[in-house]
Amino acid sequence: MLVGTTIYALINTAILALMAIGFNLTFGISGVANFAYGAFYVFAAYGIWGMVNLLHIPYLIAVLVAVLANVLLGALVYRFVLLRVRGQALSEVIATFGIGLAMLEMFSYFGWVGFEYTLPVFLDRSFIIAGTYVDFQRLAILGFSVVLIAGLWWFTHHTATGLAFRGIAQDERTALTFGIDSDWIATLSVSFGAGVAALAALFIIPLGSISPGEGYDVLIKALAVCIIGGLGSTGGVIAASFIVGFAERFTDTYIGSHWTMIVSLVAILLVLTIKPSGLFGKQKELEERI
Amino acid sequence: MIRKLGMVLALTVMVSMGMFSVQSAIAADPIVIGVPTSTGFLEGKEALKAVNLAVDEINATGGVNVGGTKRPFIVESADIRDAAPGVPVPEALLGLEKIILSKKPAALIVGPFRSEALMAGMDIIAKYKVPLLGTIAMSPGSEAKIKKDPEKYKYVFRTCLNAVHLVKYLAGTMALINKEFGFNKVYVMHQDVAWARATAGYVKKMYFDKAGWDILEVEAFPTGTSDFSSSLMKARAKGAQVIMPIFDMPQSGTLVKQWNAMKVPAILAGFISPLAGSEAWNTFDGKIVGAMNTIFELGSAMPSDMHAPSRVFYDAYKKAYGKEIQAGHGPAPAYESVYILKEAIERAKSIDPDAIVAELEKTDRMGVMGRVKFDEGHQAIYGFDPKETCVSTVFQWTEDGKRTIVFPASIAEGKIQLPAGLKAVK
Repeated sequence: MLVGTTIYALINTAILALMAIGFNLTFGISGVANFAYGAFYVFAAYGIWGMVNLLHIPYLIAVLVAVLANVLLGALVYRFVLLRVRGQALSEVIATFGIGLAMLEMFSYFGWVGFEYTLPVFLDRSFIIAGTYVDFQRLAILGFSVVLIAGLWWFTHHTATGLAFRGIAQDERTALTFGIDSDWIATLSVSFGAGVAALAALFIIPLGSISPGEGYDVLIKALAVCIIGGLGSTGGVIAASFIVGFAERFTDTYIGSHWTMIVSLVAILLVLTIKPSGLFGKQKELEERI
Repeated sequence: MIRKLGMVLALTVMVSMGMFSVQSAIAADPIVIGVPTSTGFLEGKEALKAVNLAVDEINATGGVNVGGTKRPFIVESADIRDAAPGVPVPEALLGLEKIILSKKPAALIVGPFRSEALMAGMDIIAKYKVPLLGTIAMSPGSEAKIKKDPEKYKYVFRTCLNAVHLVKYLAGTMALINKEFGFNKVYVMHQDVAWARATAGYVKKMYFDKAGWDILEVEAFPTGTSDFSSSLMKARAKGAQVIMPIFDMPQSGTLVKQWNAMKVPAILAGFISPLAGSEAWNTFDGKIVGAMNTIFELGSAMPSDMHAPSRVFYDAYKKAYGKEIQAGHGPAPAYESVYILKEAIERAKSIDPDAIVAELEKTDRMGVMGRVKFDEGHQAIYGFDPKETCVSTVFQWTEDGKRTIVFPASIAEGKIQLPAGLKAVK
């Protein structure tokens, strides 16, 4: 049981990290807490489903189109909504939450509710690892999350755009003096975040089904992980994913399933009490030191 | 002279138009049916569609005869979201009260999805004196309230089955499995909501404990749980022969996928919402051979050719909406409730709520689910023979992607088959 629980805890960690990394990317660079993130996730999933099942577009092309559509949607949201309220945190939250709510409720309104709304797994096989059956899809999530985080690290350390991202994240005004256009970078950060949400949906949705409620679930989990890890910190997201991922699975196995849901909430409470800026966050570091 | 003639003509036209509009108003004065439920969930969505189907059929024949005047039904729905995780009951009840106050329905059909919301909403219904024919929420707690204070809560009826009746079906299924294969080790997994908790508790107390089954574990999962790996590992480690799931949440589809992917050597027999409808075969890529699922009311997601009204309703729904019913709970009683309401209004010759309630209590009709009668708790009576009572069904998925009814015996189409890879112990 211990080995099996550990394997599934690692997978749970990967799922949480995959859900949260896009949200964290957007906040870390542009300072925008994108509360439409869950809606982008579900939008991509429905988009792929619709293209494959209704328009009979080949799966890989549907995936590519869905990711690009999400990227474009993120850019449009920033350009036509967020740009006008940039810097006003509450307005940003209200605006993005409103957009997300409208999108998710639109799916409900059109009746896109049912178990037929799902995405296929990449490979319908299970493997035995240390005596535990694990399906290929979950292993793919584990592998992809490592690749994605490594890819993001390489991007932000070895490309001009990525370095610009880091510049804006460190100090926007100084970055501006170097000719880095903060609005353009912020647009890219929201777009990239939306694109990552689409990729997360591609990998995670096949485990269950698509429903508007998934949007709220993803947003809550992403928020929980980012708050615990520290908004804007990729290392924090990884650490928080480990903490919450392992806590959930071990609680499930050794204490009881009905306690699992409160694990992330208790973790948020503890972190906010002891270190309000999160494990690796820096927002209130000065105040905390004082 | 011309002026006078003109005035007379104008007056005549105006009076005629007034008479016409009054007559039109009287003839077209519709009876409002309110449908407050979680329409964002499959059961709520298809129950609403079933209500609309029944209303269209009734209106096509001229409507409801209220004391000699034919009046059409109209449906006003509201998504009260009580089934969504994290939505507090008071929020959901705001939607219930709003539809009563703004649409002034003669009756409500379907009603709250969650028993928690129904139990709390009973006071609102009593306050506004609006009859409710519930078709989703299942806790027997509502009947206890009605029996305790019948004058106050008399407006609440339930046409779907309740947890107690569901227990009879689950117990009957387990008894069949035990009889056929000798299995007696069960792992119970249920959703952490009132109806599922009650069902799991009653099955344990009324059947498993008495029949000497080995209950390996009873686990409760909060609504929204999407990873069942720990429990499935425990079920395998403890040697479960039967896994009895009791879930209505969409995420329970993950349980089915994980049960298959983790190759847990146990029969899945209980109620999982995603497994009920015909499209489940494609949804799960055919990996559900041998799984057994309960259809709460005959006609919801599955008809029986041995009870013609269920087939007629099922086919009518498919014709109207282009796809088969997928929800195993809600649509059949929702459809039936409209006709029950119609007949009660016609007998009462009025839409006065107390008069409707008095006639609802006298209901005795052959419908989609079987013979519909209410007991003193205003619960439709469920048994095992559609000629005598309403019935549920238990079916098993076969190798060729079909669903075979295996229980109750009155409408069974075949016997339970042991899935490949499992061995009987007798």
